[in-house]
Amino acid sequence: MMRKLLVLVFLGLLLLGCAQPSPPTTPTPTKTPEATPTPPPFEGKKEVVIGVIGPMALPEGTSEKNAAQLAVDEINDQGGILGLPVKLVVGDTKLNPDTAASELRRLATVEKVDMVTGGFSSGVMLAMMEVMAETKTVFLADASSPAHPAKVAEEYDKYKYWFRISQNNGTTFAWDLAAMIDFLREKGVTIEKVYVIRDEHIWTDAVMQALQPELEKRNIEIVADKKVGRGYTEYDQLLLEAKDLQADLIMPILAIAGTGDVLAKSWGELQIPALLAGHDLAAIDYQFYDKTDGLANYEIFIADGGALVTAPPTDMCAKFVEAYKAKYGHYPESHQAYGAYDAVYAYKIAVEEAYKAGEKNPFDPDVVVKYLEKHDTKNPLVLTRTVAWYKNHALVWGDDFVRNWISQWQDGKQYIISPSTVANGELKLPPWLE
Amino acid sequence: MLELIMKILIYGTVVSGIWALTASGFSLIFGIARILNFAHGTFFVLSAYMSIVLIKNLGLNIFISYAIAVLFVGVLGVVVYKVMMSPIRHHEVMVIIVTLAFALLVEQVLLLLFGEHGRSVPSFVSGFTEIGGVLITYKRIVVFILAIAVIFLLEFFINRTRTGKMITAASQDIEAAMMVGMDVERLFVITMFVSAILAGFAGLLFAQVFAASPIFAVKSLIYAFAIVILGGLGSVRGSIIASFIVGYLITASITFLGARWAEFVMLVTIIGILVFRPTGLFGVEE
Repeated sequence: MMRKLLVLVFLGLLLLGCAQPSPPTTPTPTKTPEATPTPPPFEGKKEVVIGVIGPMALPEGTSEKNAAQLAVDEINDQGGILGLPVKLVVGDTKLNPDTAASELRRLATVEKVDMVTGGFSSGVMLAMMEVMAETKTVFLADASSPAHPAKVAEEYDKYKYWFRISQNNGTTFAWDLAAMIDFLREKGVTIEKVYVIRDEHIWTDAVMQALQPELEKRNIEIVADKKVGRGYTEYDQLLLEAKDLQADLIMPILAIAGTGDVLAKSWGELQIPALLAGHDLAAIDYQFYDKTDGLANYEIFIADGGALVTAPPTDMCAKFVEAYKAKYGHYPESHQAYGAYDAVYAYKIAVEEAYKAGEKNPFDPDVVVKYLEKHDTKNPLVLTRTVAWYKNHALVWGDDFVRNWISQWQDGKQYIISPSTVANGELKLPPWLE
Repeated sequence: MLELIMKILIYGTVVSGIWALTASGFSLIFGIARILNFAHGTFFVLSAYMSIVLIKNLGLNIFISYAIAVLFVGVLGVVVYKVMMSPIRHHEVMVIIVTLAFALLVEQVLLLLFGEHGRSVPSFVSGFTEIGGVLITYKRIVVFILAIAVIFLLEFFINRTRTGKMITAASQDIEAAMMVGMDVERLFVITMFVSAILAGFAGLLFAQVFAASPIFAVKSLIYAFAIVILGGLGSVRGSIIASFIVGYLITASITFLGARWAEFVMLVTIIGILVFRPTGLFGVEE
């Protein structure tokens, strides 16, 4: 009896354990409108409801919630949107597609949101896009898979409510990584062999697909392509393998794993003779250096979302990070904060532009979509970043818009080291590599 | 190839030491009280988070923090036993449900307080060395030495002390132990204390090498459970040997197949062994 019970329990435990874009043109930015018109009645509408949805046990989710709340508070202080007060409601995806779809449905049908922002990560976003289409909810979204804008392009009428706001399309990450390698080579660093450590997740497949030809063009060999799961921590062995394979560069492409700090710690402790440089989402966190006991020193990362606390690209961004710190006692805990903050303002601007243009109901999702779409490369929104959309609603990539700045941790501070137009620091190599 | 084997041996040994501590604690309480403590992994993660709070928020010395954290989970283990397990000890399924519910509750509290991303613990030693051509941090070496030292202490406690011998006797025949006048309830409490301390200490060592994360409340339980079944239910020595088998298996899988296959290979191997030897490596028929 006991043995049968144990076998059943063990099987149960196993189940529990398992459950687990085109080149840009130079923009002519339009100044963000600030004036709020006199409030007219819109079909009895008494308030504007903004939804924020994300994994609320993760910094990606909490920063979205905090940033959206900050934007809502500021907008209410300025008189709301078209005179209507703005309310924020929160949905928790728990990083689970089913939960996310249910939560979005609740926000759309029960809370009756006018717009939703957030949505980290790609797989979760795909599940939510169906609910978004069904409920016709304007969604200014996080997550980077090219599968999302592809849906907009393929079935525009169904998925047109979706706009990316937080970061660029995953394929552009490959361009940023390739640009990072070019930059390092220009600085005299030899890069011929790359060891990739990446999330076992849909978003990194898109990055790798675009990165491989870029590396081939540069005669760079990928000596290993290692996928790691959520919460993976045994990096020492991978780093030793990279050393054995004589990799010049260890390239993390990590977000979902959530253990970039463990990787950086291992790399710094073992003093692996290869640069640690890539897309490590954890490294954008301003507390990252302390989390690694300073062992992340010299790690090079691309600043996802096009903004860093230490190098804000716009005046609004500089004000935002300080306002965030004043309200919450710390700087944004993840780059998703910039996207969520921008999403609320972008929505406000689109609604107000629609009203000024004489639209009967500027809150109508179809109308809002039309006015968001007007912000292309010739008419970007200058928010915390310079935001513009392609026809497939992916964010425009480029030095004058949103892109992942090549950045580095140096003695406890983050510096943008390339491109030169925004750089506020110079590349420094780890002493064991000099 | 020789270097690869060295790497598997060295790295596998360190991981094995941590899992040996975890599994032996799980096995100990099952051996004497026939309690499947599904909150065992909770003690594993709680001690790590407790030490992080003591070090980073209260600024305490790392070793003092570790001592407090281990004692805390030891006492918590006793409280959990007295409040949740003791009244329903004879209902095995009830014990599983209650302890699993407690584990999931604590996991949610940790998620709310600390978030899902892991938290690093300040290292108690820095630097690295080379053994047989393989780089290894001093931290891992110290962690292994500490794990082995505690395992020896456990062996000494069980085989050389009066209380330990009484625990062994009671685990062999509880009714006979009661008939000769042993205070079995007291032995359960002591065993629970030791079991929780072993899990807590393993959690601290794990966080030293890797990081503390709420997901390990369940993950460490799965590891402990798998190892205990492989080693033979109730056999502490079997659990320790099985820990090393699992440790080397995981390390070899990462080396030869890649990180994503490590747990899959481990679990399939364990299931395969159990098909041919249902009682585990050192277990006996009930």
